Amino acid sequence: MAYKICDIEISEPLPVVELSENESGIAVLVRRENRPIWFWMESLAPGSTISPDELALRISAKAGAKLLNDSIREELLDGFSETKFPSLTIAICTKDRPERLARCLDSLPRNVHEILVIDNAPSDDRTRELIAANPHVGYIREPKPGLDFARNRALREATGELLAFIDDDVAVDREWLPGLIEAHRENPDAAAFTGLILPLELSTEAQVLFEQLGGFRGGAENGFEKIRWGKILPGYAQYPCDAGIFGAGANMVFRRDVLLALGGFDDALDTGAPLPGGGDLDIFYRIIRAGHAIAYEPRMLVFHEHRRELYALRKQYWSWGIGFMAFAAKSLAEKSQRKKWTRHLSWWFVKYQPKQLAKSLLGRAAPRADMVLAEIFGAFDGLLGGYARSQRRIERIRREFA
Amino acid sequence: MSAPLRVVHLDLSQPLKEIPENERGMFCVLWWRDLPLGQIEIQREQLPMYLPELANRIAQAITPAIGNRLFKTGFLAQLPTNWRSQFATGEPAELTEILKTENPLCRLGENFETPGRSVSVVVCTRDRGESLRRCLRSLMKLSPAPNEIVVVDNAPQTDETHDVAGEFPNVRYLREPRAGLDIARNAGVKNSRSDIVAFADDDVEVHPAWIAKLRAVFADDDIMAVTGLVLPAEIETEAQYLFENYWGFNRGYRAKIFDRAWFERELPRGVPADQIGAGANMAFRRKIFEHIGGFDERLDVGAAGCSGDSEFWYRILAHGWKCRYEPSAVVFHHHRRAMENLDRQIFFYMRGHVTALLVQFEKFRHFGNLRRLLLTLPRYYIESLTGSLLKPEKRRTLWAQIAGHFSGIRFYFENR
Repeated sequence: MAYKICDIEISEPLPVVELSENESGIAVLVRRENRPIWFWMESLAPGSTISPDELALRISAKAGAKLLNDSIREELLDGFSETKFPSLTIAICTKDRPERLARCLDSLPRNVHEILVIDNAPSDDRTRELIAANPHVGYIREPKPGLDFARNRALREATGELLAFIDDDVAVDREWLPGLIEAHRENPDAAAFTGLILPLELSTEAQVLFEQLGGFRGGAENGFEKIRWGKILPGYAQYPCDAGIFGAGANMVFRRDVLLALGGFDDALDTGAPLPGGGDLDIFYRIIRAGHAIAYEPRMLVFHEHRRELYALRKQYWSWGIGFMAFAAKSLAEKSQRKKWTRHLSWWFVKYQPKQLAKSLLGRAAPRADMVLAEIFGAFDGLLGGYARSQRRIERIRREFA
Repeated sequence: MSAPLRVVHLDLSQPLKEIPENERGMFCVLWWRDLPLGQIEIQREQLPMYLPELANRIAQAITPAIGNRLFKTGFLAQLPTNWRSQFATGEPAELTEILKTENPLCRLGENFETPGRSVSVVVCTRDRGESLRRCLRSLMKLSPAPNEIVVVDNAPQTDETHDVAGEFPNVRYLREPRAGLDIARNAGVKNSRSDIVAFADDDVEVHPAWIAKLRAVFADDDIMAVTGLVLPAEIETEAQYLFENYWGFNRGYRAKIFDRAWFERELPRGVPADQIGAGANMAFRRKIFEHIGGFDERLDVGAAGCSGDSEFWYRILAHGWKCRYEPSAVVFHHHRRAMENLDRQIFFYMRGHVTALLVQFEKFRHFGNLRRLLLTLPRYYIESLTGSLLKPEKRRTLWAQIAGHFSGIRFYFENR
């Protein structure tokens, strides 16, 4: 199963979309003057063709309201003042994946203050060699294994006022930097910025399945709505006790001074294989709890290479479960938030996941049952001592590298 | 609980300003001059709200109404339905049309005034002098002015209404000794003269353009009834907040046409005629009263409790004519302030609604009404009850509703 990804600019005449014999659907990214406007997926017969008129009809039906919404917004904000964009460091934490890293580096904008690659406990010199050939990129080696060790190292080494973290398995869109500048202009006080994540390729069943369920497009309006996350979310009593609503670690930017004041990332989350995840959830949560705002900006677009194999996707669901619950277990320790967390977690275990499971067994839109189960297993793992075990583990690592 | 909220009216033709901190949240109605386009609720904790976020929220809230006004297709409102799934609303707008629409707000254009039809305003009231005075004051500011204003004093205990009506020039006072809102309304129809009869409740204030907008919509000869937007005049108490959110009269910011096709689509499940509008803000072509008679006097305040208006719209549709909801005809309603009043009000709503279902069945033998009475509503009570295990607020007015249901059935059989 493969889907054709079409990147369509509507300010120009629309193309004819033709599927080859091994493509069973399309994923359409609609742009207007480069700016991403909408994304949808649709299964189609292999070899079928969509004429420009049919395409226009589809775009209008799906994105018509969004297009009008943007024009209205522009009219309302007519004459909104500019602010100076601060210096930006882009950091990429990586381990033993030079091909992906090279793709990522190629996609990055050049006109930024600095680009750093944090080589996290590498088993060979390939990453170092790649960076040697890219003189505009700084190379830092962080021997302590664990993503949040690497992120915290970047935080200490970076010199930009803003610090962006980009995963090595994404490619950054040309609109990413203009998007960040826009988000910053509109939210100069925000402590973090997150952006839209779309699929880089849809060439396997696992990739299509994942993206069909919304992929990383967590937010409202298919992920194409600007959101400013603040102190409360009307109608949602548990806020901000939740996972993944603010954005994802593959595409996030922080004000460096705020990160430093908050003490950086939690090393005990995102420690590689035993507990791969939760560090991004945790830092967003702490930022919101500290009273700062987070701005989500769809124009800050990156493309993520989703897991190609089903077993790898299953493992990712597991890691979301364990990462989320390790983070939740940690946050539960804070008394004032305990009630909210208990409510959210009971909902998650008693209602949300069983419902997902039932849906997938009934063949409705939901992750496959094995994915749901993997997430639930991960969740138990995380909730039942996962965080404490991880804390002990990183203590050992710290001593080892002291 | 989110009350009290400041009710604020924001005219988007003026430059947008950020909203500073305030000890109260706000209920913000969004206008382009005298055209209402949408509303947003902003809670205290969300303040201050800076321009970009405010613009996001506003753009989202008003996009449907603007699309509806600028394009023939693509932004039609969903018509209310008692079916469990929504119905498609037709073709999308032309992509090229959307793309060339710059500054959509500025293109909303001017209102087309269609003179010629005369309008009588009828206000039915009973011993609520202060309320009535407020209402009449707003009627004095109408531009254009109506051809006449008739106050129907329904079985009064005092002379208050008579005296208040006397304070205003050009207000005709009429006394209807038989108690009952629909009796009073029928008296108002009989004793007024204009082509169009507009009803305003005594607890509303009307927008100055109310008559202009109502009248313009009657250009289509098949339209016999027009309803308009009812906005909250204030949200000072929890009862008012709950009423606005769960029982309010707001039918949205996009026009809707209710025709034969909609009526027939909904017949099997019971036509949700009460969703067409609210009796606090409605108008009729005079000749419809000659064709299908007046309001059913068994319904509404003084009798079953309410639904005299919706039963009348039901009859209009059943005879093949059309009704239209026009959001630009605006009145501001003063919701009851106290919670006990809310329970009582909801009891009578349900009682009137149930009686209306039986009356509609009696008149047309449409079985959808019985289905709603015996199946849909009881199922809804059970769902609310089970839902209330986790969310007690769902139970808040449930007993009043169930009591109203049975009371309505009894009332119908006692007054057949």
